[in-house]
Amino acid sequence: MESLVVDLSQYLPILIFLVIALALSAAFVFLPMGVARLTGTHKPDAEKLSEYECGFPAFEDPRSQFDVRFYLVAILFIVFDLEAAFLFPWAVSLDMTGWPGWITMMVFLFELAIGLAYAWKKGALEWE
Amino acid sequence: MEFQASLALVAPELVLSLSGLALLLAAAWGGDKASRLISILAVAALVGAGFLAAPALCNGASGPDTLAFGGQVKVDAFAAFAKLLIYLAAAASLIVAPAFFERVKAMRAEYPVLVLFAAMGMGIMVSAADLVTLYIGLELNSLAAYVLAAFLRTDERSAEAGLKYFVLGALASGFLLYGMSLTYGFAGTTSFAGIHAALAGDMSKGALFGLVFVLSGLAFKISAAPFHMWTPDVYEGAPTPVTTFFASAPKVAAMALTMRVVVDAFGAQVQAWQQIVMIVALVSIVVGALGAIGQDNIKRLMAYSSINNVGFILIGLAAATQQGASAMLVYLAIYVAMTIGGFVAILMLKDANGEPVEQIAQIAGLSSHRKVLAVCLAMIMFSLAGIPPLFGFWGKFLVFQAAVQAGMVPLAAIGIAASVIGAFYYLKVVKVMYFDEPANVAVGKSDWAHQALLAICAIFISPLGYLLTGWLGGMADKAAAALYFVG
Amino acid sequence: MIGIEHYVVVSAILFVLGVLGIFLNRKNVIVILMAIELILLAVNINLVAFSAFLGDLTGQIFAMFVLTVAAGEAAIGLAILVIYFRGRGTIAVEDANRMKG
Repeated sequence: MESLVVDLSQYLPILIFLVIALALSAAFVFLPMGVARLTGTHKPDAEKLSEYECGFPAFEDPRSQFDVRFYLVAILFIVFDLEAAFLFPWAVSLDMTGWPGWITMMVFLFELAIGLAYAWKKGALEWE
Repeated sequence: MEFQASLALVAPELVLSLSGLALLLAAAWGGDKASRLISILAVAALVGAGFLAAPALCNGASGPDTLAFGGQVKVDAFAAFAKLLIYLAAAASLIVAPAFFERVKAMRAEYPVLVLFAAMGMGIMVSAADLVTLYIGLELNSLAAYVLAAFLRTDERSAEAGLKYFVLGALASGFLLYGMSLTYGFAGTTSFAGIHAALAGDMSKGALFGLVFVLSGLAFKISAAPFHMWTPDVYEGAPTPVTTFFASAPKVAAMALTMRVVVDAFGAQVQAWQQIVMIVALVSIVVGALGAIGQDNIKRLMAYSSINNVGFILIGLAAATQQGASAMLVYLAIYVAMTIGGFVAILMLKDANGEPVEQIAQIAGLSSHRKVLAVCLAMIMFSLAGIPPLFGFWGKFLVFQAAVQAGMVPLAAIGIAASVIGAFYYLKVVKVMYFDEPANVAVGKSDWAHQALLAICAIFISPLGYLLTGWLGGMADKAAAALYFVG
Repeated sequence: MIGIEHYVVVSAILFVLGVLGIFLNRKNVIVILMAIELILLAVNINLVAFSAFLGDLTGQIFAMFVLTVAAGEAAIGLAILVIYFRGRGTIAVEDANRMKG
């Protein structure tokens, strides 16, 4: 049975990583703010100060119903997104499947393109 | 080289998928105005696929030459027989659709495309030789079918039928998949031949659970009792051309798939599934016969009749012999003709404004004003009941003969007794049409395509059909031989 | 040591939860959709666990197919639900009763 005493020195790389990540991200946030104030381009307005939140007002009752058009986009997204998941195993095994594998995937992508063309033509990608 | 040989074997599916994709784009750009043209092209694609599938049946193809894509797909005579029936049923449901949908201004160009994709999925189902292929084919069919059930977007009953079909269909797929995952785990492979070999000795508890779950999922799909509860609602709510489709093609595909799974994959454990199939068959016959009593909607009546007929077909499977499989295929062919004829006749029942008539009370005295239609409907009802001069009797006879020769006299006896009970409700419809006070509701004109299709079905199930017994039986024997081919 | 039986038991529990979710749910069709997803994920746990246990990749490929088909199924289910809601104005399960028999 292994010892339950944890050797903390094993976690040193993670600690260093965290410190560097914290320093870098802080620099990326505060550096532009400082530069903006120094160069005089700091002109806040309502649009710039609002949070970016996928088209919703940021603060409202979370149980309110949201627009059914989000569903439509989400449905299309999930279908195309998951079909793309087939690309990863295909890519790493292409040396084994060879030309038949390549042709098959191109046919599959062509079918996806037809599906996209259909959705596009039917106006499923329009917001209004 | 092997890849090209595989592609040649699945030529019918290639034709269907390519024409389906092309017609999908045509539907998007041509709009609903083009739907009649797209329907005609879709029927042409089904006919073309049928011609490509037919040689395998005529040659009685079987054995290793029929395996494509490394044993994923098996394009033998059995698959070809089922495919031809499926394509015929799909073409029929395309032919009857325009007249129905155009009246409610709901004929959309996607209908033929969805039917094409469903037919392709069913073609993959019946030629599956691996659990993965089976699942893909089944879902390709089911996903198209869910949309078809809800095709009348403004009709509440259609939307409800779509929802119910979706929920219960997805549940059935879940059962089937869970069973397949257990089978895979305990057999160590997904190929039917591999499962057959792995289960040759004693069957483990896990594999038995897998078998039971797979059979329950398939029973859902063929709407056999006790998994039939979705059938009446979906048949009633779905638009009638779609119901024509549901009652014929997917039934053939799911039944053929069931035969393939139990014979190919679980063929080494006959005694494990034989009892289940026997119980399911008897319960279906009884539920179908008793449930039909008291129905006043003729589409619901047809739903119970289909449950009842599925029970009779399953008796052939319970026999677990090659003769039983052949009898099932003959029965399926006759059943498809009876069902399509029945639903086309229902489609032709319209009132003076062209509204569909579905209540049995409203067709009272039909014989007085629509003589030919009444005769055809009466013939179909008698044939569904299996009353001797009509062709429906032949299917039942073959199935019972197979059961008796397999030593299942009690099963056959109970089945025959139940078919007598079942005859009651078919006769009730005939009585209403011929002997009741005329209601004079169903007086509307019918489309010529409907009349032609009904005439073909009526001639097939009339006593003239017996001229075909030799030919049909020969084809079914070839298909059954391919199913039971060992080598 | 976590063995194959643990995965099978977890998967069986999830499967039963999913089936009960469909049959006992009296409120909302969306919950049924989630129950269906639960069933499919239970199957996926089984497939991946057996695949790792057997040292055979087929199960994982099967799981990929199940995932993608599940996405398509969810998409179609939601689409039908939207049509149903437009006609009826509710998605409560006990209101799905236009047909009886």
